[in-house]
Amino acid sequence: MEQRPVNWGRPRDDIYGAYDHNIHNAAKMPTVHTQQPIVTGTSVIAVKFDKGVMMAADNLASYGSLARFTDQERLIPVGKDTVVGVSGDISDLQYVERLLEQLEIEENYDNDGHELKSSNIFEYLSRVFYQRRSKMDPLWNAVIVAGVEDGKPFLSYVDLLGVTYSSPTLATGFGAYLAVPLLRQVVDKEGDEDNLTEEDARKLIDKCMKVLFYRDARSIDKYSVATITSEGAKLEKNVKCVEMNWRFAEDIKGYGRTVA
Amino acid sequence: MSNPQEINGGAAVAMVGKDCVAIACDLRMGSSALGVSNDFEKIFNYGNVYLGLTGLATDVLTLSDVFKFKTNLYKMREERAIEPQTFANLVSSTLYEKRFGPYFVGPIVAGINSVDNKPFICGFDLIGCIDFAKDFIVSGTASDQLYGMCESLWEPGLEADDLFETISQALLNGLDRDALSGWGAVVYIITKEKVVKRLLKTRQD
Amino acid sequence: MSLQEALPDSALHSTASSVPIEHRFNPYSDNGGTILGIAGKDFAVLAGDTRNTTGYSINSRYEPKVFHVGDNVVVSANGFAADGNVLVKRLGQQIQWYHYNHNKELKLSSCARLVQHMLYGKRFFPYYVHTILAGLDEDGKGAIYSFDPVGSYEREQCRAGGAAASLIMPFLDNQVNFKNQMDPATNGTEPHPITYLSLEEVLQLVKDAFSSATERHIQVGDGLEILIVTKDGVRTEYSPLKRD
Repeated sequence: MEQRPVNWGRPRDDIYGAYDHNIHNAAKMPTVHTQQPIVTGTSVIAVKFDKGVMMAADNLASYGSLARFTDQERLIPVGKDTVVGVSGDISDLQYVERLLEQLEIEENYDNDGHELKSSNIFEYLSRVFYQRRSKMDPLWNAVIVAGVEDGKPFLSYVDLLGVTYSSPTLATGFGAYLAVPLLRQVVDKEGDEDNLTEEDARKLIDKCMKVLFYRDARSIDKYSVATITSEGAKLEKNVKCVEMNWRFAEDIKGYGRTVA
Repeated sequence: MSNPQEINGGAAVAMVGKDCVAIACDLRMGSSALGVSNDFEKIFNYGNVYLGLTGLATDVLTLSDVFKFKTNLYKMREERAIEPQTFANLVSSTLYEKRFGPYFVGPIVAGINSVDNKPFICGFDLIGCIDFAKDFIVSGTASDQLYGMCESLWEPGLEADDLFETISQALLNGLDRDALSGWGAVVYIITKEKVVKRLLKTRQD
Repeated sequence: MSLQEALPDSALHSTASSVPIEHRFNPYSDNGGTILGIAGKDFAVLAGDTRNTTGYSINSRYEPKVFHVGDNVVVSANGFAADGNVLVKRLGQQIQWYHYNHNKELKLSSCARLVQHMLYGKRFFPYYVHTILAGLDEDGKGAIYSFDPVGSYEREQCRAGGAAASLIMPFLDNQVNFKNQMDPATNGTEPHPITYLSLEEVLQLVKDAFSSATERHIQVGDGLEILIVTKDGVRTEYSPLKRD
């Protein structure tokens, strides 16, 4: 236990060396145009399966290393058959949420029964993100758009730089290192998703979320799972990580009870 | 000018063939974009071992003499010439001795072991990590280009004549896409019986 | 121990007016990959690997980056993927508008000039890409145009761009333009004459170039997509590359 309150919340000197107090005492940023993420959400993960797409994100909104809000929903349904999963800055998430809501409302003005497809929503989002990065005022997020379009699963990624790509398995943030390898064990290349059932996809997602909770310090054991098939989108909330084993923690210095 | 390994320029390459090895280098020595010399050979031989040294020219000259000295001592003590594998370890340990103030070089070694008559090549980083390769080794400011050439031209079991053509084409075309290498080239084709040194006609720009 | 003693020296004496620690948003990233274009007598090919990366992560194993933008023109802008995609999309739209306004095909040479203007238009906030354009010229001959990030361009017989350009380009000099090769018929006194390669030979060269680049470059691999332009239109060929 660190006995000096001044050192609380700072990197440990015995591990990272002496703390550079210039960081704490730094003057205001040279410009305030460019920002940094403040309240953040961690990874979003997604995988295609035979009849659709499954996506998950936990419910934590962190303030730096503080677990600030523990019931933040980060999967946003748009229209009948699209869900947008957002990681990164939460205020930008809420702005994106409002943009998408506005988009949906304006689409419904005509009242012609027409709905935006997943690819339309993705195209819109990617243009917004690219425009904002080009104004040097980015929306600090990495977003995954999941849906079903013309009976086929749709899955694409866009981030604060406007970089886009799609793949049968996708993840943002830490998920790219921890979850994607697990997801690719099952769905390695285009077409492999045809051999994955919804039930198995769900087990896979649960496993990935558990691994992320074990190793990602900015995660929480409560998450939402979105399943999108041609029948529409289904959002399952307050899913908990189960059957965990934390025995290992007891042996690690500074992790559990062990101090010295 | 900030990277010492790229101030003077230069490139070298070694390849394995059927019962033969080849080692080749360019002849340029420059000071950044300015060409200074067109007869700066980067291959040195110690008995039946050949050493290619690219990188900072002053370190090339220093190390070539250091290895001359060390192989002479070795010969006096052992009463025989040093073998390629032994020499490779000598290079490695010599470089690692200067782990925290290294010679800015990229050495490559080629030769035929006189005991089992097997071809041997290897390369090193500047602090002596050995890269044992069965096919080819490249080094110097044109290393990217040489990797591309060697990876596409080289094939296993080349006879001495074909090996000469392969290493020459790999080197020449690699050099022409590097501003800091060129100005002539030399190729050594080493077999058990003989060593043939050839000077190549190259572009002079 | 008092609190004064516990505090480190710098915490007590440093002032808020110390030098700010600069943290700037970087609007660019590198998405790896490599592209290659070769022109033949009556065809042109433009090939690219299908791997998309950031850092050491493979984002996607199949993310195409060579596109047919209409009028028998194929293009790829390799480097920063967001800029590349926007450039290609804008070029496609410009070609559409050209049709609406003039009701005729856009010549490849005009398309190249257009790309120059699109790139130079962002001279002070450049598209971070190496662009290659492939198609047929007015005489039906294969043509490759290559551009630097701010629009300098040149028509060439062949060009490699992107992450492994430095590995592939000397190979192309040697095998397409016969650089450093002599004519065997003259007993090595004359340079190898420049001749057109057949489509089969070109496709084999492209595959060899990419499998070599895959072997030695970590950002290259997964798949190879080749777009082939002939007078009959644009055709696509896919072949796998190593995925490690």
